[in-house]
Amino acid sequence: MNINLRHFILFSLFLLLIVLFAFISLINSKVTNKLEGVLWTVPAKVYSRQMVIAEGIEINKEMIIKELTLHSYTKKSLPKNPGEYSFKNNSLSIFLRGHEEQNAGLFKINLSNDKVVGIKRNDGIQLDLIRLEPLAIGGMFPSHREDRLIVGWHQVPESLIEILLSVEDQTFFEHHGLSLKSILRALYQNVLAMDIKQGGSTVTQQLAKNLFFSSKRSLGRKIQEAIAAILIEFHYTKEEILLAYINDVYLSQAGTRSINGFGLGAEHFFGTTLKNLEIDQLSLLVGMLKGPSLYNPRRNPERALFRRNLILDILEQKSIISSIQKLELKERPLSVVSPKFRSETKYPAFHDLVRIELNKNFKDSDLRTQGLKVFTNLDPVIQEALSKSLKKTRLDLIRKYGKSLDEVEGAAIVVDSTNGEVRALVGSSNPNSFGFNRALNAIRPVGSLIKPFVYLTALKDYKRYSLSTPLDDTKLSVNLAEGGVWEPNNFDKKFHGIVPLHQALWDSYNIATVRLGLDVGYEAIKETFNSLGIENEIHNYPSLFIGSFEMTPIEMIQAYQTISSNGFFTPLRAVREIRSASNDLTFSYPYQIEQRFRPEPIYLLKSALQQTFIRGTARGFTKKEIERFQAWGKTGTSNDQRDSWFIGYAGDYLVLIWLGFDDNRESPLTGRTGSFQVWKDFIKTINPVEFKDNRRELARINNEWVDLKDGLLSGPDCKNSINLPFIKGSEPTFTPNERRKCRVKEKDPESSIMGKVKKILQDLTG
Amino acid sequence: MIKHLSVLSFVLLFNSCTSVENRINIENIEEVSTFVSNIENLLSELEFLKLEVLKLNSSKPSIQRILNEADAFWLRGSLDQTNLQLERALRISKNEGSIYLRLAHLRIEQGLNKEAKAFAAKGLLINNLSNWERLLLNVYLQHKDL
Repeated sequence: MNINLRHFILFSLFLLLIVLFAFISLINSKVTNKLEGVLWTVPAKVYSRQMVIAEGIEINKEMIIKELTLHSYTKKSLPKNPGEYSFKNNSLSIFLRGHEEQNAGLFKINLSNDKVVGIKRNDGIQLDLIRLEPLAIGGMFPSHREDRLIVGWHQVPESLIEILLSVEDQTFFEHHGLSLKSILRALYQNVLAMDIKQGGSTVTQQLAKNLFFSSKRSLGRKIQEAIAAILIEFHYTKEEILLAYINDVYLSQAGTRSINGFGLGAEHFFGTTLKNLEIDQLSLLVGMLKGPSLYNPRRNPERALFRRNLILDILEQKSIISSIQKLELKERPLSVVSPKFRSETKYPAFHDLVRIELNKNFKDSDLRTQGLKVFTNLDPVIQEALSKSLKKTRLDLIRKYGKSLDEVEGAAIVVDSTNGEVRALVGSSNPNSFGFNRALNAIRPVGSLIKPFVYLTALKDYKRYSLSTPLDDTKLSVNLAEGGVWEPNNFDKKFHGIVPLHQALWDSYNIATVRLGLDVGYEAIKETFNSLGIENEIHNYPSLFIGSFEMTPIEMIQAYQTISSNGFFTPLRAVREIRSASNDLTFSYPYQIEQRFRPEPIYLLKSALQQTFIRGTARGFTKKEIERFQAWGKTGTSNDQRDSWFIGYAGDYLVLIWLGFDDNRESPLTGRTGSFQVWKDFIKTINPVEFKDNRRELARINNEWVDLKDGLLSGPDCKNSINLPFIKGSEPTFTPNERRKCRVKEKDPESSIMGKVKKILQDLTG
Repeated sequence: MIKHLSVLSFVLLFNSCTSVENRINIENIEEVSTFVSNIENLLSELEFLKLEVLKLNSSKPSIQRILNEADAFWLRGSLDQTNLQLERALRISKNEGSIYLRLAHLRIEQGLNKEAKAFAAKGLLINNLSNWERLLLNVYLQHKDL
């Protein structure tokens, strides 16, 4: 061999080495980057609130059943497996699937008159509360659409490791990425078949393939996989590799989203956490790895069952389970949950609100990659009922009023009045569609919904106004600042003369309200608006007092929340807390509160608004129902009936409904004939349990019987009388002669002996 | 005379509600007016208030369990976790003075004095408060340092 040839060979070898080194370096950087980066880009998951069943609480049993149905629990005569329940003789037995804060198991709940009187575990131990798993309602997906729920070692059941290694890689803890025995066996099989039929891949090789390469089988790919597998083994411990595999494997497709990892697989197919899965369920998931589509238990249940049973046979051979266990496990059905709530984003309108709140504190990239868990205030049963009521009533209205209503749109919001938590939100007549969210973005004239704010302004000034203050509802001409005269009219085009303040409100008289607004003044009205959280610019037009003012539904319900919460302003919240993938608290949206009004004027206002249900535009509930729900509310109709509004309180829910056209055309609907009908259907569907309003009787409030017409003192035995609350010192004092007989003087507490003693003591002590 | 009797009855109420170590020994105090200043001083001490608030229990076992969890977080200094637990309790039962009082004091530790007063004011609207809870809520509402 001459020197030139030797140099050439050496140079070629050197070049080859460099290329090989570069090739291995490239794969090496892919290994480290992917395993430490991309694999862990996990989209944020959004969950509903958890339903809590606690001893001693009032709860509507139909609501529990509906919630269980939404979670794909099935009714059985005797629940034996996770995801089953029974209900008979006021006793509810639920086999919970369990989650981070709740063990799986069978629990028996005893109910009596919509009250939880006892909770027992299967072993007879008494408990004070149990929590249903929160419902996964969507996520913030990255562009590659891979979805997973990262699990840590403590969340991986030992039996999964045993099953996985028995089936996929028996020598995992012995090899260094490649198993010569497996490769030779596969080679022999492939040579026999004259094709690539079998792979001899170890778990590490499979991880390498899943992470970097396509599923195409070729020699070149196999070499790359092998190098990557060796490098993975070089960089990471066996435990790290196994955990990465468990979190990475592809299991299924849900729409455009891919379901990766056993953590999400457990949730997607069984509606629970990985830790709660039993051997038959784990065997099903492990069995799917061979062909995720072929053995998909929803699409091909028979094949999946066959494959699962095959895995159970292997487990028996490996003495992981006994033959008796195997027979028992084989008897079990697949018990896969319905995919109804395991797909992509549910309740898109509510999601919009979640996103607005999250964007204040999180970067979009964090939401798409950090695996955060977003726990919201959404109540799925309330949300479903609200969507259904809107859809159903809309169709009823179209049937009643004809095709002119075909394109009528709607929005609806439910808020927990105490703490401002948003329980449900619908932004369209088709609640499952994405698009223009009217609940958040439709800026509409509010009609009479604004009137209670004017009356509240007056009632704050209790020395001048009470519920029986006479208001003038006769013809009114207002000289406008910019010139011209404005003459408001009532909805019924009539004048009603002198009317008491409470009636002007619940009968929604425009003229009396404008006079009241002008009397209290723009500045006082603006102060009330600000206290209610209304940030829109307010102009000094008298038409403002009767609703020539635009707001979105969410702004409107925010303003009413302060009224329903007895004068305490609380910003509405869709999100409760955010936890990291490892369940640590990352961020929370606490209950904020600020007292904006004294409780007394609010009490008077609510009392007048309750008359809307008794005598006014929201008639249709029985007296018993009104008392049980402590209902109050207000209808609103904008000019030419372009907007139909209703906002009402029942059983501690504050519910707002809006109906109208996107192009702002006229409609045949008023607040009563349109939105109130949706509200009524919704409240009758959810039938809230009696809200035991334990609110202390306000010391500064006195109740008096007054005449409905003139507002002067009357009595329970007098005709046309009404019992109204007054802030002490603002009660009417005059009883007309004709009512002196029927006015029974209520027992004066100061007339009793004890009362007299008390008064003397008070006088003495100053 | 009447004024003194009123103060005495107030002290008796105070002693019947508060724990043994905080009770005021009436026999050793010569002037009734000293009672008043002692009580005022005691109630203006935020640490004293916190100890008293943490002793308040709920009659509902489920609420009590959550309150215990909240108190444990509080003692460890995890104010956010404490708040989450208290909000959980409030969702189950909206009429518990023990929850509102804890929320009021927690807000002080979070530097939100205005909110502390608002929780106290809202708690005072509950009907079934004990006299001691009502008194403490009033103390938070009218506390001069908040």
